Amino acid sequence: MTSRTTGRIAHFLGLVLVTACALFPVYWMFSSSFKNQVDLLAAPPVWTFTPTLQNYVDVFADPKTLNGTINSFIVASATTVLALLFGTPAAYALARFEFRGKADLWFWFITNRMISPIVLALPVYLLAQQARLLDTHIVLVLIYLTFNLPIVVWICTDQFRSIPPELEQAARLEGASQFRIFWQLYLPLGAPGVAVSAIFSFIFSWNELLYALVLTRRAAQTAPVAATSYMSGYEVPWGKIMATGSVIVLPVIVFSIIVSRHMVRGLTMGATK
Amino acid sequence: MAFLRLQNIVKRYGDLPVLRDVSLEAEKGEFVVFVGPSGCGKSTLLRIIAGLEETTDGQVFIDGADVTDVEPARREVSMVFQSYALFPHMSVRNNIAFGLKMSGMPKPQIEEAVAEAARILQIEPLLDRKPRQLSGGQRQRVAIGRAIVRQPKLFLFDEPLSNLDAELRAQMRIEIARLHRSLGVTMIFVTHDQVEAMTLADRIVVLRAGRIEQVGTPSELYARPANMFVAGFIGSPRMNFLDVEVVGSSQGAVTLVHPAFPDGPVSFPISRPAPMAGERVSLGLRPEQLNLEGRGRASLAATFDIAENLGGTSHVYAQIAGGETINIAIPGQPRATPGERLLASFDPQDAYLFDRDAQAL
Ligand SMILES: Nc1ncnc2c1ncn2[C@@H]1O[C@H](COP(=O)(O)OP(=O)(O)OP(=O)(O)O)[C@@H](O)[C@H]1O
Ligand SMILES: [Mg+2]
Repeated sequence: MTSRTTGRIAHFLGLVLVTACALFPVYWMFSSSFKNQVDLLAAPPVWTFTPTLQNYVDVFADPKTLNGTINSFIVASATTVLALLFGTPAAYALARFEFRGKADLWFWFITNRMISPIVLALPVYLLAQQARLLDTHIVLVLIYLTFNLPIVVWICTDQFRSIPPELEQAARLEGASQFRIFWQLYLPLGAPGVAVSAIFSFIFSWNELLYALVLTRRAAQTAPVAATSYMSGYEVPWGKIMATGSVIVLPVIVFSIIVSRHMVRGLTMGATK
Repeated sequence: MAFLRLQNIVKRYGDLPVLRDVSLEAEKGEFVVFVGPSGCGKSTLLRIIAGLEETTDGQVFIDGADVTDVEPARREVSMVFQSYALFPHMSVRNNIAFGLKMSGMPKPQIEEAVAEAARILQIEPLLDRKPRQLSGGQRQRVAIGRAIVRQPKLFLFDEPLSNLDAELRAQMRIEIARLHRSLGVTMIFVTHDQVEAMTLADRIVVLRAGRIEQVGTPSELYARPANMFVAGFIGSPRMNFLDVEVVGSSQGAVTLVHPAFPDGPVSFPISRPAPMAGERVSLGLRPEQLNLEGRGRASLAATFDIAENLGGTSHVYAQIAGGETINIAIPGQPRATPGERLLASFDPQDAYLFDRDAQAL
């Protein structure tokens, strides 16, 4: 055997190992959601079992799950849309305009992510209480925006900077307005960055647990909070939790697959020599 | 009043001066070529005319109006960028139509204008392709197409041919000349390539380090360069410069010595006041004005070094006394062998003389 084939096999095995490690928890979650309580608690764990849909029946019988999923969807979509709406023009400005305080503004965006979220949980709770926003979608959207905007701004600024400036100048010469240049050049050509930041933003908002736990009770409770809420009391219904987890993961996967189609490289190919 | 007038244009990036007091006029329909070494400010000047760059000082007039503070789109100027700058996500058709759409032209008229431009540039079969599916020459035509549909008052080309291969370059050069003739619009063309400059230009503007060195028709610049820089820049192969000493001068003539003159001092006609005896000046001789057949009243003794055969002509490199190398352009091929002694002859009235400050005498 040549050293090249050995190398390839090692490479392949390495990739398999990494993939297996990454996917095993997901597999365990899905498979567990089809187990009954006896199989779930079996030691050593069982690999073959008779699948049951009982967990899903229980989960959907509980209005918390459906409500939580709907709330998560509302909050994550609203956050993502708003983050893109405000973040992409900001990124365009940071990428292409010179203005006073640009470097400071840039740094400020970074500092937003320096503080551990839990440090702010109590102040945010008190603020939300004062503003009578507890247990609303709005408070979650606002707080998630503070996390997602910097991500959108960073990723998109970097992406917009990679667009040749002559394209904008050519468009200006042709009479395009600033808005049109942003809308018809920067957004389509920066689509990969916009897509990546949209995915990040959506996933973050969808999965966020800490603030959702602190700021919601019932009306605006999101899916992750609903999943953990089953843990109350003496018994831990693993099957139900795993089933809820599986239900939660699905929309994110679908969203990512749809958006990732825009994540192609080389969109600006052919623009310049 | 001239169609395009640049008045005392100054441009600085921070403290770095890029253009220092550039003034220039161009007539309607004229083809003006900017030449100069890399970084001398050609693109910057073009972008100032287009309005993409603000001037630090000075004014730009187009068609009688002061447009110094007018936004680019209102100047009715089209530019073909050094890098083409096609919109990569739009089809060729939409690239060409972009400016017309912005101006709110009705659809049927846009289609007509695009079709007309495509016909002129012979890119009709490419209209539905994306820029990445085109060759360099095709992209360049699309960029020109985008510029001509708007029927601008002024065309700006920034080294549009610099990335094309030699053959395509020659072909596009002719097409641009043809386009200029058929549209009759003022064009300003930036290039590094002095063949392009000589063949396309009505007038050439030679720039160096942000200043205009000389403006003139190609033949004027070739025949009467104002200084050594222009003399060295215009004409290919490059002019030979020899360091010579003045031994005598009279009204309209100057006598010079150089170790390579086989018969002692040589007298050269001169139009400006002659320098004093003892001064050192530069003698410029174009390679094509030197010959190996003894034609001319003066000559240089040289030793054959190497020859470049270009097919019909050859460039002969030879060493002369004093250690300088001269280049002689001759028809056919030299029959000399390395180390052989040659006599490079010329007519003193064809020679160029420059004073110590490199200004023409
Ligand atoms: N935005 C800028 N900031 C600072 N300096 C600049 C900027 N743009 C150009 N320059 C400088 O101005 C000078 C002239 O640049 P310009 O692009 O006009 O040169 P050019 O003559 O077109 O050169 P080339 O033939 O290489 O295209 C260069 O020294 C360049 O470094
Ligand atoms: Mg340039």
